Amino acid sequence: MIRFASALAVVAAIALAGTARADVLVTDLSEHQIAIRSNFTGTQILLFGAVEARTPGSRAADRDIIVVVQGPVRPLTVRKKERVAGLWVNHDSVTYPAVPGYYAIASTRPLEVTAAPEALKALRIGIENINPGVPVARSIEGAVQILQPEQESAFWKALIRNKRRNGLYINLPGGVTFLGQTLFRATVDIPANVPVGLYTAKVYLLQNGEIVDTISSPLYIDKRGVEREIYRAAHEDPFLYGLIAVLVAAFAGWLASAVMNRR
Amino acid sequence: MQIYLPIAELPVSILTILAMGAAVGFLSGMFGIGGGFLMTPLLIFLGIPPAVAVGTQATQIVASSVTGALAHFSRNSIDFKMGSVLLAGGIFGSLTGIYIFKLLTVIGQIDLAISVVYVGFLSVIGAMMMVESVKAIRAARGGAVAARRGGHHSWIHGLPFKMRFRRSKLYISVIPPILVGYFVGVLSAIMGVGGGFILIPAMIYLLRMPTNVVIGTSFFQIVFVAAVTGILHSVENQAVDIVLGFLLVVGGVIGAQYGVRMAEKLPAEQLRALLAAILLFIGLRLGYDLVVTPNDLYSVVEAQVTR
Repeated sequence: MIRFASALAVVAAIALAGTARADVLVTDLSEHQIAIRSNFTGTQILLFGAVEARTPGSRAADRDIIVVVQGPVRPLTVRKKERVAGLWVNHDSVTYPAVPGYYAIASTRPLEVTAAPEALKALRIGIENINPGVPVARSIEGAVQILQPEQESAFWKALIRNKRRNGLYINLPGGVTFLGQTLFRATVDIPANVPVGLYTAKVYLLQNGEIVDTISSPLYIDKRGVEREIYRAAHEDPFLYGLIAVLVAAFAGWLASAVMNRR
Repeated sequence: MQIYLPIAELPVSILTILAMGAAVGFLSGMFGIGGGFLMTPLLIFLGIPPAVAVGTQATQIVASSVTGALAHFSRNSIDFKMGSVLLAGGIFGSLTGIYIFKLLTVIGQIDLAISVVYVGFLSVIGAMMMVESVKAIRAARGGAVAARRGGHHSWIHGLPFKMRFRRSKLYISVIPPILVGYFVGVLSAIMGVGGGFILIPAMIYLLRMPTNVVIGTSFFQIVFVAAVTGILHSVENQAVDIVLGFLLVVGGVIGAQYGVRMAEKLPAEQLRALLAAILLFIGLRLGYDLVVTPNDLYSVVEAQVTR
């Protein structure tokens, strides 16, 4: 908290010193690295900053902040179940080549009133405006097929629904709060099932629905310590890893029977 | 208390996993089964990805069956020769199973395949065992001597490559045990089970082995098939979570010891009726999930990179 307070004091000082034309942003994250260790059960990151007002007379009331934290992209497949001979079977599927594993958006006001939908769409701001690349639809036999736009969008909606359910896509209208005229802060949840990799936290400053400044800062989420070593061993030398896992298990089995027989 | 699993990539409660391990270990010691058919669905239900559940389960099966095999070794109730023949088939079966597992994962039908295979086997074997043990219990109550099985010649006796199994007092072809072993090996790799619940009935009804060596021999074979399956799942899918496996093993080995003791106190027929009831229940439960409309028709998975 002390770190946060002193950082706020710094940005406040910078904010007061500014004199040029357009308003600009000064922001920082509470952490630039999140370590996943064996006790990791999710965390929160705090994003804070200040608007450096350089346009005298611009009213703070028309000012909006949008914060977007986005995780690494990966190809994902959405499958739809259909009833085949009484059983629910994975039938058609759609694969999206670049889906962010995590996407959190926080704003001072609901997005609809912050900016025009077309502007948000063009800038890919908002969960509905994520660009997952060109989808490939396949039938149950694996053949590529063409889906109607409304059919395809049902798959995309299902993906968003799934991600929201897992706490990986977060929409926080009102999640950014102003402290006075220039200082603002936002808290974003990082759930335990978060994918590892390089994240970006982007902050947009809007004046009357127009973006006047953007700042992007990196955030690394990575496994550390034992977690990292185990993960590395499993991927770098899977045979040795598997052998050790099996031998440890066999030893445990032997140990148990040795201990119980002695009693 | 929560712990983050490095391969499954999610946190779980340590106590839940230990308790699950102990409960399944108890049943496994009691019935001479690996317990995988109970544990794999439980792990998947907890949210562990199916591949990780199946791969990790193999290490847990190794531990519980080593304990079981050692207990039976001290009682001299293992037919090593028969066990080795079954094992030879089992290792090839495991290799085939891993290949099928990968193929099904790529085409997106692995969950369905696991469920269908479970439902099929659990209900058929459960029903057969139930009928058999109810008959045996009735016969015992009525004071009638249960009809001795075996003795009559079946098609199995006409097969070549005969071998003498002294411990089992059998002189039969090696083809049926190799096929049984192979088949169980395939299931072991796909279902994350040791396969005891198929191996034991197959040894009793198909190979006509004496009941007293069946459980020990099954444990002996399962130790090695599960070991091979675990290593293969690690190599092919990087799907063995050593932390999860360790927790399951700790719970499992403790539970199994008590299970073995409990089994000595209960009459064999009732024990079998109880196991049959458990198999039927799980079979029906999984079958229900296959036919009832799911909450969300859509599911999301990592796209498989086709190599």
